Amino acid sequence: MTRSIVSLACFAGLLGALVATSSGQDAKSPAKSQEAKLIAIVKSSSSEKDKADACMVLARIGTKESVAALAALLGDEKLGHMARYALEPIPDPAVDDALRDALGNLKGRPLVGVIGSIGVRRDVKATDRLCKLLKDTDLIVAEAAARALGNLATPAAVKDLEKALTEAPPYRQPALCEGLFRCAEALSAHGQRTDALAIYDRLSRPEMPGPVRDGAARKARILRQEEGQKI
Amino acid sequence: MSRTGAFTKRLNRRQYLKTAAAAGAACFMPTILPASALGRGGAVAPSERIVLGGIGIGSRGEFDLKWMLREKDVQFVAICDARKVRREAVKQRVDKHYGNSDCQKYPEMREFLATRPDIDAVLIATGDRWHSLATIMAMRAGKDVYSEKPSCMTIAEGREVVETARRYGRIYQTGVQRLSEANFVLAIELARSGKLGQVHTVRAHIAPWDAAEMSHAWLPGEPQPPKEEVDWDAWLGPCPWRPYNSTYIKGGWRGHYDFHTSCIGEWGAHTFAQSQAGIDASNTSAVEYHYVKNASGDGMVTKFGNGVQMVLSRGDQYWHGPCGMRFEGTEGWVASGDNYKQPEVSSSSLLEDGEKLLADYIERTGRPMNHVRNFFDCVKSRQQTVANPDVMHHSMSTVHAANICMWLKRDLKYDPVKEEFLSDPEANRLRTRAQREPWIY
Repeated sequence: MTRSIVSLACFAGLLGALVATSSGQDAKSPAKSQEAKLIAIVKSSSSEKDKADACMVLARIGTKESVAALAALLGDEKLGHMARYALEPIPDPAVDDALRDALGNLKGRPLVGVIGSIGVRRDVKATDRLCKLLKDTDLIVAEAAARALGNLATPAAVKDLEKALTEAPPYRQPALCEGLFRCAEALSAHGQRTDALAIYDRLSRPEMPGPVRDGAARKARILRQEEGQKI
Repeated sequence: MSRTGAFTKRLNRRQYLKTAAAAGAACFMPTILPASALGRGGAVAPSERIVLGGIGIGSRGEFDLKWMLREKDVQFVAICDARKVRREAVKQRVDKHYGNSDCQKYPEMREFLATRPDIDAVLIATGDRWHSLATIMAMRAGKDVYSEKPSCMTIAEGREVVETARRYGRIYQTGVQRLSEANFVLAIELARSGKLGQVHTVRAHIAPWDAAEMSHAWLPGEPQPPKEEVDWDAWLGPCPWRPYNSTYIKGGWRGHYDFHTSCIGEWGAHTFAQSQAGIDASNTSAVEYHYVKNASGDGMVTKFGNGVQMVLSRGDQYWHGPCGMRFEGTEGWVASGDNYKQPEVSSSSLLEDGEKLLADYIERTGRPMNHVRNFFDCVKSRQQTVANPDVMHHSMSTVHAANICMWLKRDLKYDPVKEEFLSDPEANRLRTRAQREPWIY
């Protein structure tokens, strides 16, 4: 039986040490040393629990140094989520590179998770790859791609979401509409109100799902009122 | 899954009415319409009824359900729960109430939401971990939502609920029902009225059990029941995976970091919303959080942008009932909590116009002293509820920031407009958590 390297008490100790160092006293070296220990746990044959705990702490202190070890777990059915738990908050483009790389290697739920994290981090470089997933035969993958593209809100994302919506059967429409809603909101926030209105008008059409249609019509009305246009 | 039961009956009744009207004088058979279809005999016409479903109704949810079943213009038609025992229990309760066997059961939320377009609103009482995502999924499916508190596990989740409600034009009420209880509303209105002078302090009750730091331990794994009995994957939802243990699903999830919002969130979800209402801070969150060296956060001083401080308090020195709050001004104070006959005040003269103050509030806002009624009224009127998404998000952001202050063991400053901590990247990392696939909003 593999002996756990880190017991619960040790996890609490790591957190405690982490708090002490991040309280402003000599933060850099102890934090780096803590991170190195946690990376070692992630890479080792430690238990699932120990690795999950390490990921929990890395979510708070992880840097670029942790990315490779965490990325290696992205395809793990049990630990993939915790790898993303640690990766998502790390403010380094190495995370985006790793998540994008994983897109080509994963399927099913691990792929859905990676797509979700790309959306959270708003990695616009992933637009093309996500667009290709809009018609994935796995519905939850396609839906995740639609929502993530909504967060990216690039012109290519808008174009491909609209194209996919035109061709989508009814059961695939809600996620595509959600993606477009997010795009419209981003466009509006950046002053591109004409483009946002075009999306809302599209989503207000009679063939759109009821909740989408009603919400989009309301958003369009509000935007027009704000613009001072006649309804 | 085919539509059956209450929905079919309602649809058939409407079709019947339409056909009967069109037939007119050509019909030689007398048309007999049941009185209930016309809203007579105390019944509410089907077209005026709010069709309600439930997601994850346990002990607290049953309490809400009992309230809701009393409303004559509400018809509960379906329950969705990852646990078979709860699906059965709720169905039994609802069927007994209506004297039929129409309540439908659904083990899976996506199917439930996709196949019941007849449902207007849902009661969500799943436990903290699922409240925001279930709300978001329901809203996307066109449902209005009554969600138990605390409504979200992170600042980011709360923001997403706000945006989704705006996106789909949905009505939402979070279960901080004391915002609709006379003693609390009167105390809030007294604070707002100027009768206390300049309010400088509000004290907010936090739960006298558990701590701000929560457990990261896994309970020992037990044999996982069949999915039909307990869908463990769905029960966990967006939270990190761990082995099944029956203690979690019987309420033992409290005190676990991944599932709970600590002693601060347990009552702070109520008392922070109450407190912020009384100091005109419902549209913002506290901007300063001062760390206290104890396990619970008792005595933590937070400060709002308007200069008012909110002090977290665990004990009973300021009140004599749960979920207390106390507003202190330059010319007096008022306190209320559960089981009060009336608010306690520094001077009895403060309550002389109490009835009028309350009556004015009700007339001004149109809000009854009944939290679920407020929700159902707003479902019909499309006006905002008293505990709407913005109120929820701003008070819960104060909760989450207070928790983060305790976890990091240092003072924090927060910008409620940007929704970020100032000069504290580690605190900012804790504003959100990666969700477990496929339960990602």
